[in-house]
Amino acid sequence: MKRWLLIAGRLGIAVIFLYAGIAKVREPWLQFAVSIESFKIVPDTWLEPLARYLPWCEIALGIALIPGILARWFSLLATGMLAWFLFIGIRAYAKGLTVDCGCFGSGGGAIDAKWFVEHAAMLALGLGVTVGAFLRGRAPKRAADFRVPDLAEPTS
Amino acid sequence: MEIMRYLLLFVPALLLTAQTPAAPKKASDHKALAAASIPRNFKESGSPTAPVTVEVYTDYECPACRAFYMETLPSLNSDFVATGKVRLVHRDYPLPQHQFSKQATRYANAAGTIGKYDVVANQIFVTQPEWSQNGNVDAAVAKVLSPADMEKVRALVKSDSHLDDSVAVDQAMANNTDHLNQTPTIVIVAKGKRDVISGGVNYTILKAYLNQKLTQ
Repeated sequence: MKRWLLIAGRLGIAVIFLYAGIAKVREPWLQFAVSIESFKIVPDTWLEPLARYLPWCEIALGIALIPGILARWFSLLATGMLAWFLFIGIRAYAKGLTVDCGCFGSGGGAIDAKWFVEHAAMLALGLGVTVGAFLRGRAPKRAADFRVPDLAEPTS
Repeated sequence: MEIMRYLLLFVPALLLTAQTPAAPKKASDHKALAAASIPRNFKESGSPTAPVTVEVYTDYECPACRAFYMETLPSLNSDFVATGKVRLVHRDYPLPQHQFSKQATRYANAAGTIGKYDVVANQIFVTQPEWSQNGNVDAAVAKVLSPADMEKVRALVKSDSHLDDSVAVDQAMANNTDHLNQTPTIVIVAKGKRDVISGGVNYTILKAYLNQKLTQ
């Protein structure tokens, strides 16, 4: 996979996580707690800590994805989170729950076909970047990437 | 070197995430706030000097509002309103897609003018599954009022042209200041800041949030 494509994809995911986190921390944490509660997936005692700290985790992950250090592992973590969000969305839809996902702050609306397309696309991007990053990490580097020592006999 | 890269990225990112100051209020917002100060005591309860005010926008025909009214409000009343910590304000936001909501609102507000707001508002929410099918709000309200009071309420619902004034004020507030997009919506007002929370709020987290506001 082209290196620039991987970088662009990774930065795309970083922007998504930064935007999602910032949108949420700018609102009262109670608003995100209401969104989490509507999914009926965690006990009430988890709502406050999740609503308070998950947005900051998203921001931290977004920032961590930018420089490309440990990119494989941060991409894997981001993809795992995107897969989890898609899973709980599908679960809520299947159960007929009325939820406002709160993914990018309040007012995002209910889970519908548009939501599924968006989240599936984000997950596909995450998977592409993660798989690409792991494949690239294992592939032998091109000769041009190495500095070849000059072993020629010194001339006098 | 890598640490430096992180630091260089972290500082601007933290600055970006910092809360930006609220935009200056538009003239329409000030008008709405001024209008909201019209006394409507029957829709308000709790101490007027309470440090926190909770404003609740509801639509009588909305099932989520009914759930909020029946599951969250009783605990809020007993733990915060009755103890003087919170002032509670009901605000009407009848949604256009609900056929009988305006009529139910008129009944509740008519009952309010004769001092029976709480009992009638409660009855309207409790019997919502019935009257939302047949539109017979009158029959539901008649079950909790004396015949004399019911006659007064009917007369007001029929002919009082000012009965919807407070609703118009609430709707202006909802549209211009709080930018409502659904019911129920609660607005938590503390130290002049309005936190608008859309959707039905679970009492456990509402309690935690209010306690945090009260200790700030």
